[in-house]
Amino acid sequence: MNTQFSYHSLRGSGSRKGRRLIVATIIVILVLAIDGLSGGGIRTLVRAASARVWGAGSQAFSAISGSGFLSTRRALLGENEGLKQEVARLQAHAAALEVLQSENASLRRIVRLAEAGPGITTPIISSSRSSPYGTFMVGAGSKEGVVVGDLVVMGEGGSGGFVVGRVSEVSKHLSLATQIFAPNASTEATIRGASVILEGQGGGNARAEVPRAFSVSPGDVVLSARFRGRAIGVVGSVSDDPSSAYKNVYIGLPVGLDALQFVYVVSADR
Amino acid sequence: MRIALGILGVLGAIFAPPWILLLIMSFLAFRYPAWEVLLIGLLIDLLWLPSGPLTQSLPLFTIVALVLVWGFEPLRSEFLISRR
Repeated sequence: MNTQFSYHSLRGSGSRKGRRLIVATIIVILVLAIDGLSGGGIRTLVRAASARVWGAGSQAFSAISGSGFLSTRRALLGENEGLKQEVARLQAHAAALEVLQSENASLRRIVRLAEAGPGITTPIISSSRSSPYGTFMVGAGSKEGVVVGDLVVMGEGGSGGFVVGRVSEVSKHLSLATQIFAPNASTEATIRGASVILEGQGGGNARAEVPRAFSVSPGDVVLSARFRGRAIGVVGSVSDDPSSAYKNVYIGLPVGLDALQFVYVVSADR
Repeated sequence: MRIALGILGVLGAIFAPPWILLLIMSFLAFRYPAWEVLLIGLLIDLLWLPSGPLTQSLPLFTIVALVLVWGFEPLRSEFLISRR
């Protein structure tokens, strides 16, 4: 009898929970419908709130990791030794860089005269790994002149840079950009003048198949006519299987998207 | 446990990779009749899915959440409620 009572009370509780699930399902469908009808009104609010949470979270993380709270003594000693070697290496590079800098400065003057392409420097205000759809948010929107289809460029947009994404949705002070190498996205590109189709794999990585006879090596720049001939990646590695007629080329960005703090948004027409 | 996982899921939508969220959503949906799984799925889609026609931008995580919550319902009823 007691067992039966307990069973019935649990079944009763189960049906209450079932009702909650039904209500939650209806609410979810309603929210999606209202968002669709309002032209993305709800998602704009959610993204603005998320940008604030992301900002607070990344500040807190920087403060904690900067304080060394999470580092062990051994890790710090290892890091110290590594940094000493890095300093020695950088000193050697610095001398060579000075020569290149003066050359670069004069070239840049010519480039500025030639194109004067305006754009917006804007921070990335979300994680680039969290999105299952290969998207990320940047802190500039329609008020700053961003429109759907604009290119998101890393490095110096004025002198070319690498295209990392394309603006796919714009709100007042925030835009959602889709990575060029979003999962399952395919992009036409050229490597050493040969046309290839890149298959996006997310996280700023892509893969392409080229004939075995085609010469390609790590470090080759990948360009795309879809983005007005701009660079979209660099060949990272080439996997050559003797039994296959093709070889796999793995392409990535010179700097990981996670490491980027600022990007340059330029019009797709320039 | 359920509340902690729910909060983790909501924060994970902003900070964590999608596979972690799938694990959290699956565990929550399997163990509890968790309406918060629907909330997490909806949140992910509102945050990251570009708007467009349904054929191009299907709210996959909301659909996955619905499948998890309602798909696991008979399993939960059988193994986690009736056997107590």
